[in-house]
Amino acid sequence: MKCTRSTFIISALAVSGLLAACGSPQSAGDGNSADGEAVKVAVIPPSSGALAQFGQDAYAAWQFAADEVNAAGGIDGRKVEIIKMDTDATPATTLRAAREAVNQKDAKFIGGVMTSTEHGALNAQLEGLGALSFNGLGKDDALTGKDCNANAFRVVQSTTMDMNAVAEGLSKLPAATWDIQAVDYSTGHTSAKVFKAAADKGGKKMGIEQFAPLNTTDFGSYISKLKGSDADGLFAVEYGADGVAFVNQMAQFNLSKKYDTVLGFNMVSEPLFKALGDKIVGFNNNLGYDVNSDEPKNQEFVKAWAEKHDGARPYYVVADNYLSAQTLFEGVRKAGSADPEKVKEALNDLTFNSIAGEVTMRGADHQLIRPSYLGQVVKDDKGTAGLGWKILHKADGATIAGDPSPDCTL
Amino acid sequence: MDLTQLLNGIALGSLLMILSSGLAMIYGLRGVTNFAHGALYMAGAYIAYSVAQQVSFWAALIAAPLVLAALGAVLELVFFRRLQHRNHIEVGLVTFGLAMIIERVIVIIWGERTLSVDAPPGLTGTTSVLGSDYPSYRLLVIGIALALAVGLVYWLRKSRVGLHIRAASHDVETSAILGINVDRVSLLVVCIGAALAGLAGTLAAPYVSVHPAMGVAILIQVLIVVVIGGAGSIGGAMLAGMALGILQTVGAIWAPSLSVLIPYAALVVVLLWRPQGLAGKRA
Amino acid sequence: MTDNLTGAPELTITPGGSDSQTRLGTIARHRHWLVGGGIIAVITLLGLAVPYLVSSKFNMGLVLDGVILAFLALSIGFLARHLGLISLGHTAFFGGAAYTVGIGIGRWSMTPTVAFVVAVVVGTLLALIMGVLVVRSTGMTFLMLTLALGQALYQFSTQRIAIPWTGAHDGLQIDLSGGTFLGLTQKSMMNAALFWPVAWVLLMVCALWLWITGRSRFGTVLEGIRENEERMRFSGFNTDLPRLIAFVVSGCVASIGGALFALNAAYVSPELLSFTKAGDALTAAIVGGLGVLAGPIFGAIVYVLAQSRFNTSGNLHLYTGIALVLVLMFLPGGILGSLEKWVRGRLSRRRQATPPSTSEPSSPEDQS
Repeated sequence: MKCTRSTFIISALAVSGLLAACGSPQSAGDGNSADGEAVKVAVIPPSSGALAQFGQDAYAAWQFAADEVNAAGGIDGRKVEIIKMDTDATPATTLRAAREAVNQKDAKFIGGVMTSTEHGALNAQLEGLGALSFNGLGKDDALTGKDCNANAFRVVQSTTMDMNAVAEGLSKLPAATWDIQAVDYSTGHTSAKVFKAAADKGGKKMGIEQFAPLNTTDFGSYISKLKGSDADGLFAVEYGADGVAFVNQMAQFNLSKKYDTVLGFNMVSEPLFKALGDKIVGFNNNLGYDVNSDEPKNQEFVKAWAEKHDGARPYYVVADNYLSAQTLFEGVRKAGSADPEKVKEALNDLTFNSIAGEVTMRGADHQLIRPSYLGQVVKDDKGTAGLGWKILHKADGATIAGDPSPDCTL
Repeated sequence: MDLTQLLNGIALGSLLMILSSGLAMIYGLRGVTNFAHGALYMAGAYIAYSVAQQVSFWAALIAAPLVLAALGAVLELVFFRRLQHRNHIEVGLVTFGLAMIIERVIVIIWGERTLSVDAPPGLTGTTSVLGSDYPSYRLLVIGIALALAVGLVYWLRKSRVGLHIRAASHDVETSAILGINVDRVSLLVVCIGAALAGLAGTLAAPYVSVHPAMGVAILIQVLIVVVIGGAGSIGGAMLAGMALGILQTVGAIWAPSLSVLIPYAALVVVLLWRPQGLAGKRA
Repeated sequence: MTDNLTGAPELTITPGGSDSQTRLGTIARHRHWLVGGGIIAVITLLGLAVPYLVSSKFNMGLVLDGVILAFLALSIGFLARHLGLISLGHTAFFGGAAYTVGIGIGRWSMTPTVAFVVAVVVGTLLALIMGVLVVRSTGMTFLMLTLALGQALYQFSTQRIAIPWTGAHDGLQIDLSGGTFLGLTQKSMMNAALFWPVAWVLLMVCALWLWITGRSRFGTVLEGIRENEERMRFSGFNTDLPRLIAFVVSGCVASIGGALFALNAAYVSPELLSFTKAGDALTAAIVGGLGVLAGPIFGAIVYVLAQSRFNTSGNLHLYTGIALVLVLMFLPGGILGSLEKWVRGRLSRRRQATPPSTSEPSSPEDQS
């Protein structure tokens, strides 16, 4: 009868399945020793969404670093292979891509992941995947704080490091009284706090302090309020599309004329130069990478990059991802192996010479100790959209990084 | 609250008013919520960006609505008309799919970076309004929106075509029996609705930044406006759009961190108090 | 109306057998329960073999993602099938439950099992709250309202005041090392092959639950409301309450999916509540076929597999949109719905049997 037939089919299927997968189903895909093999890096930047342009640049930087080291014979003979994966910058897709790269394509290292949210989700899975991640983009403090992970290395500065650099440089800016316009989000509030402490120390006075929700595009009511203040300096923490809208509306309301000094945090950067235009000449902002730095490694890098990219100069996304690749390569070199466990060991407290000068991968929280800058937007024929940076202050990495977060246990 | 803050509210309300009146017109006639309305608005902004770069902002103000009207014609002829005997929800979901397609196509053409459009020369600065300086461009937005609202209402009330539109919105079958060419009226309405979305996008381009997420963000707000105003009521949608714009701006002064939630709160209040919307006819 | 969303009337049938409205004879009914329940039981058992058949870890992960999305698609499909209502707000229950798992474990140190139960309760309560606000509306208004209210939760979760609870845009990482879920340790929960039996059996239990609900007297009432609400009201039925119950039941199924997602992924982020997620689930359900119980499940798995295939150039949502438009225009009833129609057409032609009764379904009236 029907019943017996289906019972038969199930048992047959179940048995054959058991035989086929003999043992436990999770045994598939465990890699063998990676020694002597190629160094396989999965680069997983967003290829869609608001961050796709950064994603493209991040990938280009990793590929550039790989080509460069391969042309020189590899890392002690080991070739570097970049495996490009796609994501839309949501954690689910990024994780799926990471799993595919590690389980199917045998990648042992991950780079180019963009947002802090993705990094948070990825960090939780790294040990299970047996892979190391090199973060050149996610700045959230928690990634080297409560969400830190032994397999995750942050090469880019944390938000706190950048903000400390800005605070240090505050004394070099003329304004005496400051208004604060910040995003109503953790970054905005933390930066405002650090800023106020620094301003207080430097004897500056505070005016209006206000916060606008993330994704605000109409700043009319905020700007109207700012117009009523008598401060001569504005500290603004608005980024992405919000930042562009804020700067443009500032101009429409004639607000920039009111302030002698505008200090942005994460507000103006090369990718937005074209959209913002000459309105931002004279604006000050934090800066993670100094393209004009006279470090020999940097000079070489900028020259080689320009030759390959029609004279274009690298900006922070390119530089930070190139530096991520360098960090990985240094680790592999020191370990004399491409085995993630050995590379992890080798990287702890490793100091090496880089495009950002001498840097150290701090063992306690896996944060790369490197400088951060305060810069001013100036006209520059060689720069993006005719704009470039003048460095006002260079902050020492160890000072701005402070002590490792007590929330982080590796 | 001072005058400039009120003007800020009216400026935002103007954009919502233009967008929601187009959405309400299409809904009234075709019974379909056009979920692609946000995408059309976004298309308007991007087209305005290109035209403003090549020619001028004023040219964009004409060109973008025209291109969008053509897109509206495609929408009507290929989708709404062909699917008019299907369930309305299905057609609504088709527009949902179209929204995803249009938004992605825009990104493929213009890229992912945030763009900005400068206000036209002569309107970049501020103008004195009763003693307080206010951006001239925003005054233009308010002026255009108000003129449009008055014109649209007058046209619907007084002209022959307007009468046909109102009749068809009220009862499609009876209007057809009475000799109104519903297909033609519908083509006109969808074209106008799309053109209004394009106009709103153009006006928004120098006002807010032009970026890939702008369509979705405004769509939700406009849907809320249309529901609050009473689905299908153009006057209700206009009033609700203006009210919400002002409410949101005022809210941003008093409680900035909660202002994002104001439209949703307004929606819940209206639903509990008057489920058919402020100007809705049907329970 | 030649066609409605769930396909022609004969397509509103579950894989178990034919239409419930016409056959109320108890014997036939009992046979129905047995055959339907039996089929679901067999599929459940067959499904348990999947981890042994799918050898690669990656593909196993994909299939599991599909099954978790299937909870959401299934719940949306249930409302569509029995009430003709399309919800774009079910992400609130799915995401709400996922967040509750994160908050429960992270802040209140619940064990994963307790957090799961609490999450499903919270998700269901959210469904009750949204349900009270929306059940009186129909058709297009329902679609707009559920979308708007679902997005309200998204907006709220990303505000700074919500950071201590939701982590806003950064989401929450869930530390599962403190306990087990149905005997699974942290490592096993994150392992697709080992988590599979839990997710699959629960999905099948939900499918069975929804199927029984749909075929019960309550289901008949729902169909009555779908076909002609005014008639039902005149016949003395309170039409809001059954609608609300159906909405809450479907919200509960979505919550189960969300809670499972959180346990498997060990993180939650706002995109779970987003517009895009709502679109994903709905597209999956429609492509699979809203008129068939298995349609949304099938659609969700196909959707996730296709997603991993086509996400190569960032054009995922372009393809999603195209798929949605094409299916709606040319394949109403979805893949399984059309397949079933075709099979039935061939069978009835061969048997020369009389065609099933054609009670013309009027679409929910939403024109003003």
